[in-house]
Amino acid sequence: MQKERQHPAFYALLFALIFMSVGPIFLMFVNSFKLDVDIIGGTTGLLFLPTISNYETALCDILWYEPDHLDFCSLKFGGAFINSLIIALISTLLTLIIGCMAAYALVRFRFMGRDSASLTTLMVRMVPPAVLLVPVFGLWNNEFCIGKETWVGSFIRDTLGGRGDVCLAGTHSGIILIYIAMNLPFVIWILQSFIVQVPRSLEEAAKVDGAGPFQVFFQIVVPLIQPGLAAAAIFTFRIAWNEYLLASALSDRNTKTVPILIVNNMSEFNVEWGVIMATGMLLAIPPIIFTLFASRQIITGMTAGAVKG
Amino acid sequence: MLKALKWAITGAVSAVMLMTAALAGPYDEYVGETLYVNFPAHPHFDAVMRILPEFTKETGIEVEVDQLPYLKMRERQTLELGQDEGDYDLVAYVVFSKADYVFADQLENLARYFMNPMLSDPAYDPDDLIDGYVYNIGFAGGNKGYLEGKTGSLFGIPYGSETSVLGYRMDIFEKHGLKVPETYDELLETACKIPELEPGMGGLSSRAASGHHASHAFLLHLAPLGGRVFDDQWNPIVNNEQGVAAANALKTIVDCGPEGASSFGFGEALGSFLNGDTAMFLDTTVVAGQINDPSKSKVVGKVGWAMHPMGVRRGSQTGGFGIGIPRNAAHKESAFLLMQWLTSKKGDKLVALAGGNPSRFSTHDDADVNAKFPHMATFGEALKHADPDWRPIIPVWGKINADLGTTLSKVLTEDLDIQTALDGVAERTRAIMEDAGYYTWQ
Amino acid sequence: MKAHFLNRVTPYAFLAPAGVIMVIALLYPLGYMIYGSFRDWDPSQNISETEFVGIKNYITLFFDPAFHESLSVTLIFAGSVVIAEMAIGVGLALLLDRNLRGMSILRTLFILPMMIAPVVVGLMWRYMYHPTVGTFNRTLKSMGLQGVDWLGQNALLSVIIADIWQWTPFIFILALAALQSLPRSALEAARIDGATPWQQIWYIKLPLMMPVLVVTGLLRLIDAFKVLEVILVMTEGGPGLSTEIVALRISRTATEFRELGTAAAMSNYLLILLLILTLAMLAFTRIQEARTARLARQVQEES
Repeated sequence: MQKERQHPAFYALLFALIFMSVGPIFLMFVNSFKLDVDIIGGTTGLLFLPTISNYETALCDILWYEPDHLDFCSLKFGGAFINSLIIALISTLLTLIIGCMAAYALVRFRFMGRDSASLTTLMVRMVPPAVLLVPVFGLWNNEFCIGKETWVGSFIRDTLGGRGDVCLAGTHSGIILIYIAMNLPFVIWILQSFIVQVPRSLEEAAKVDGAGPFQVFFQIVVPLIQPGLAAAAIFTFRIAWNEYLLASALSDRNTKTVPILIVNNMSEFNVEWGVIMATGMLLAIPPIIFTLFASRQIITGMTAGAVKG
Repeated sequence: MLKALKWAITGAVSAVMLMTAALAGPYDEYVGETLYVNFPAHPHFDAVMRILPEFTKETGIEVEVDQLPYLKMRERQTLELGQDEGDYDLVAYVVFSKADYVFADQLENLARYFMNPMLSDPAYDPDDLIDGYVYNIGFAGGNKGYLEGKTGSLFGIPYGSETSVLGYRMDIFEKHGLKVPETYDELLETACKIPELEPGMGGLSSRAASGHHASHAFLLHLAPLGGRVFDDQWNPIVNNEQGVAAANALKTIVDCGPEGASSFGFGEALGSFLNGDTAMFLDTTVVAGQINDPSKSKVVGKVGWAMHPMGVRRGSQTGGFGIGIPRNAAHKESAFLLMQWLTSKKGDKLVALAGGNPSRFSTHDDADVNAKFPHMATFGEALKHADPDWRPIIPVWGKINADLGTTLSKVLTEDLDIQTALDGVAERTRAIMEDAGYYTWQ
Repeated sequence: MKAHFLNRVTPYAFLAPAGVIMVIALLYPLGYMIYGSFRDWDPSQNISETEFVGIKNYITLFFDPAFHESLSVTLIFAGSVVIAEMAIGVGLALLLDRNLRGMSILRTLFILPMMIAPVVVGLMWRYMYHPTVGTFNRTLKSMGLQGVDWLGQNALLSVIIADIWQWTPFIFILALAALQSLPRSALEAARIDGATPWQQIWYIKLPLMMPVLVVTGLLRLIDAFKVLEVILVMTEGGPGLSTEIVALRISRTATEFRELGTAAAMSNYLLILLLILTLAMLAFTRIQEARTARLARQVQEES
């Protein structure tokens, strides 16, 4: 394709735009290697002695050595990072499988209640997390529990320890469940537009060969909508990885995720900018990597999600 | 993970060693237990983190700490203490949580433990604990329900308690021949003179951010200026003359303060003092450690300390934290042992040397502590004027505090008229108090 | 007979897992919330122990000036970010809709802000807005200008700017996609007829993009009501209530004031508002589809 020559001012504009969108991230990256004194003191620019002590402070609970500048390890970032990974990965995987099946059903079958199912999916997409806060907090803590006197409850308590009734709150599964529910409508919506494009003839042919509906789905349809799945996966992961509000209401000291940790350290007695920037950077790295490697899928997903109303 | 493993191993080893070494001791029965405690992320409790390994070494009891920002800590505790069986064995609570927790019967009465000869250390010397703090933080059921009084009893022990002092830049004051303010008039005058003398420098850095911070800053001035939130009949009098004077003082301080002062929380206020952007700092004693830490502060060695200036009376704040044992804890007895160890003469001195706030008179007078922290003597003096009634510690205070803080923030940023603002607070407070039944007997 | 039965059950089998999860974790909680909004509910209470208070929570909120303020803050915030983002995003799309070397790299860099956690975005901007340490005031001062009290006097504006930074790329990408899928023939015809670039934009491109733009704008509007973390980290709703959007107020009412019933009622108000917006969006797309269908039919009949 022929590339046109552009006016120099045009390139200046482009440069300014790139500077604006990447600048803050770069600033955070640079600051995460500075000591607090340097950040506050105003050694601007790149003239400073880089230090990894902020990262050491953040990751002190999973380092194999004890950093010299720390008396004790208060920030358990490593544990939170692992929690975030577990929660984000499992919820993404389950959302995709479940959402994909539902989207297939909505596109390919005519059945009673199809329209209302479809409409419900669309409507719940707009529910903000803040609205779910109160009911989820109440339900997960008080209603979705197994009494510790019951057989299952006492079994869980004996094997896993802990105290009180076995409730969804404070467990990984509790957070995963709400993330799946929150993301499902969006995933179903996006995947529908990809499934529609799968040629029916392929499925018919497989059926003639004697494949059952589930075989058709997993062996024919799923491989064909991989780009859609990738896009949906990234968006689901992004929300599960970044979400703060519900996780903070549902997690206990062992299931804290990274965003909670950052907010906790933000509003505190001495704002340790360096460490906060380091934790922020660590939280931002996975999404940044995804974006750099899969921007095409992200853009496809975005357009598919919006354009097909 | 590795670290946890390492801890477990050292713990186990030291436990075994202790079992063989000390055959009979008060801690034997509890060796190897793990206590889960909830502490705030706060300079005093950072110091506690440094001395906890000492406790484990001495007793064989493991301690696992969940450190949270103090407002988050309260949310977490609300949930944990409300359950039949909770996660925490020992909690540090913010002063104003005392009312909630005791009222909801969520904290253990300590009488049972101090009476138990197997648990209570005869050398503990409770009279050495600073009276004001004990009544303010640990005591409940006395006069007005939250003050010292014949009907009260002990539910917690002050730990990480604070009062307010005035920190000032000796170099700046000397340079311009300024006098260290002793009264509120002098304080306000000096605060506004400094930006003129030293362009770019603020007078006094105070917290002012919406919510708890603004309310705290206001109450800090209210007590010395002679005001109170309630009169003896629980009628809100925050909008009287003294209340308006306190709000005016806060506004003057913020206006003459460093740039952006109206959005400062505690962290920012302290940060700007540490960075040398302001000449004075009037807030809790807890900051002394950081001011002398060269990796955080640019004013090491330049800061002098003075008493909280006087209005119509002396009245520095009483605040900070106490530690108590939840009703639903699993290991109450060993939790008491930890609590006793931390607040004992030895523990108190250790934590003071590690940079914490001591809660005993003897520690304030201790030679080692004073050698390391020369300001300790001033702090000890300030304690004598600490005012336990500078804010009401009643269950509905959280709501009133939030309203007061938001309204004051509006005064500071949106130029809302002070009298109107405080009248509004008083009116809403009355409704809250009415709802909570405080006027039943009138 | 058996095969027939299987055929009828299949779709439900596919739908079942999603249905079960959405019922348990979305619809039931929403019902629970509506139920709870009629009760005087403290976080330490089980809902069965709470007291029924009728629509008291709704009435209290209806007359609560603090709620009014946070509602208006929310509306101002959502309205202005959507307008600003639409204007900037569409403008940039029109400007950058050319054959460019490295356009894909550019797009990748542009979408970085919206992939990063809102919490992190909040902390970056809180740092940059810092009155003395922050990047903006430092730059201003090094140019000899007065610093701006970003998160104090101008908190709402500052929060809006941060949101614009994060979400303009969303509009930009969608507008660009819409532009590039416009029928080339119409643009070609206009150019041959001698339309100026300005006229092309005004009379051809924008009207043709309009359906996509409206949906994009509405999507963004709905999302703007979900914003919470960025503001929480930057200002915690202050100073005063000047940046306390409804989502934040719900969370504060529930956790700080410990009034779950009122928080539930507030959630319901927000939900109703969003429901109206969503219905508007649905209605718009339906009408749009009907119109295109009619147009297509007309074209067929004419040919």
